[in-house]
Amino acid sequence: MVDLSVKIKNVEFANPVLVASGTFGYGNEVSELVDVNRLGGIVTKSITLHPREGSPPPRMVETPSGLLNSIGLANIGVERYISEMLPYYEDLDTNIIMNIAGSSLKEYITILERVEGTSNYLSGYEINISCPNVEKGGLEFGVDCDLTLALTKELRKRTDKLLIMKLSPNVTDIASIAKAAELGGADAISAINTVVGMSINPQTRKQNIFTGFSGLSGPAIRPVGVANVYIIFDAVDIPIIGIGGITSADDVVEYLLAGATAVQVGTANYREPGISIRIIKQLIEYCEKHNVTTIRELVGAIRDED
Amino acid sequence: MKIEVASISGNKEIAKGIWKMDFDCPNIANNVLGPGQFINIKVDPSWEIPLRRPMSIAGVKGEKITIIYKLFGRGTKILSELRPGQSINILGPLGNIFTTSDKDSFPILVGGGVGIAPILWMHNELNIKSVSHILIIGATTAEEHFLQHNPDKNIFLTTDDGSIGELGTVVPTMESKFKEVSSRSFGIIYACGPTPMLKAIHQITTKYKIYCQMALESYMGCGIGICQSCVIERKNDSPEEDSYGKRFSLVCSDGPVYSADTIIL
Repeated sequence: MVDLSVKIKNVEFANPVLVASGTFGYGNEVSELVDVNRLGGIVTKSITLHPREGSPPPRMVETPSGLLNSIGLANIGVERYISEMLPYYEDLDTNIIMNIAGSSLKEYITILERVEGTSNYLSGYEINISCPNVEKGGLEFGVDCDLTLALTKELRKRTDKLLIMKLSPNVTDIASIAKAAELGGADAISAINTVVGMSINPQTRKQNIFTGFSGLSGPAIRPVGVANVYIIFDAVDIPIIGIGGITSADDVVEYLLAGATAVQVGTANYREPGISIRIIKQLIEYCEKHNVTTIRELVGAIRDED
Repeated sequence: MKIEVASISGNKEIAKGIWKMDFDCPNIANNVLGPGQFINIKVDPSWEIPLRRPMSIAGVKGEKITIIYKLFGRGTKILSELRPGQSINILGPLGNIFTTSDKDSFPILVGGGVGIAPILWMHNELNIKSVSHILIIGATTAEEHFLQHNPDKNIFLTTDDGSIGELGTVVPTMESKFKEVSSRSFGIIYACGPTPMLKAIHQITTKYKIYCQMALESYMGCGIGICQSCVIERKNDSPEEDSYGKRFSLVCSDGPVYSADTIIL
């Protein structure tokens, strides 16, 4: 019997396969197609203080083995999340992690406090720090160690739940950002968010995405994700959740060997909402074939092979 | 909404660049509601093409679904190379439907490009219900048409080069029919096709004050309301500062059929 379970802080995950924020909605949309209780966890779509319409179209374009998107954080806002989604999560038997996005330190704090003030069954929070800080001239929280440290500290003060900082790969030195998150009291690091990209139509000579710059995801960025997880593993002692282009158990193992304790499946959900369930089955097969008794023994193990 | 591995029973080119595919998928076929709905097809088993391709349903017979698609890019190229006996992975049925008209409304159905699928299905449905109507299908040239121009049966083809049917786009033909039909009743328009065509149709239906429903095409990431990419702007006289879903509507789950006067093309 293979043990797929992992633990981050005091939260038990039946398996290390979660679904990534923005690629699984709020979790209820696909319940017709997928038994969501078999997932290690669901990270729900980024929630902001107020509802957001998002960016004008076009918002998405396919690229070789990947996707560019700029949705503009379209979401229902924290109040509707509390009244409509939290009751639904009570009945689920998997870990729900709420992803939070803010445009100022105060906004992140307000959202988290608002949710903490309700009785909820959330396992924790994942903080999207790839957001421009309006108080600092639009500088993204996630590109600045001091901002990351301050944000993590303030949120840590206000919750005992799992606190995960989701890092952007679009930085010079991701290790220092990860260290700032760890110093601020984060329980784990999610890495990576999308890679900045752009696509132009040569025929129309127009941008393929309304906002111009957008985020690249999918198998195209998997090597970037794996490299960043490898770097972060050597920089911090807290667990890492690997994200970027996962479509199979082999991809999961790649991330685990590099240093991830768990992973999130993202873009692949758009094509196959139930792919994570299949990946979990494949993981068991992988472990049986390779005499792995607990999935945890793979974490960071590439170093043992070197 | 289900995911089903369907067995292809036919796949052939019926006009230049226009293909028709039939496949057996009982679970999805049994849940289809009507014209306007679509399915989302996984075209590439590898991840080189990550997304499914949304395709309007052109008809359902028993457990068999028909789609009509236009060769457009790599995804549809892969589809066109599939042979009977092979299987494809389908997600569906998705989206809403044209609301059916009563017998007196004398509808006009207008389709062009890849938008012919739901219009043809609507045409067949109305025939079954013995609802008199006019069908207008537009294309660039004769070889892209697979129906016969037959004014006696109220089937009108248009071509940009005049090589078959009426010369020009679907719009002048529509306008000439409005004048005939409006003398009989108020009419209703069902339209599907490329955005420039739908814009032109919206202008003319507004001018003649004729109610129009449109099935929209959109770039879709998932087809089930998760990725939030397939948005169309709603007509909204009092937009709110903080809102979700008031300014933008998701074509995959709110649509693809809209009343023309509720959206901005």
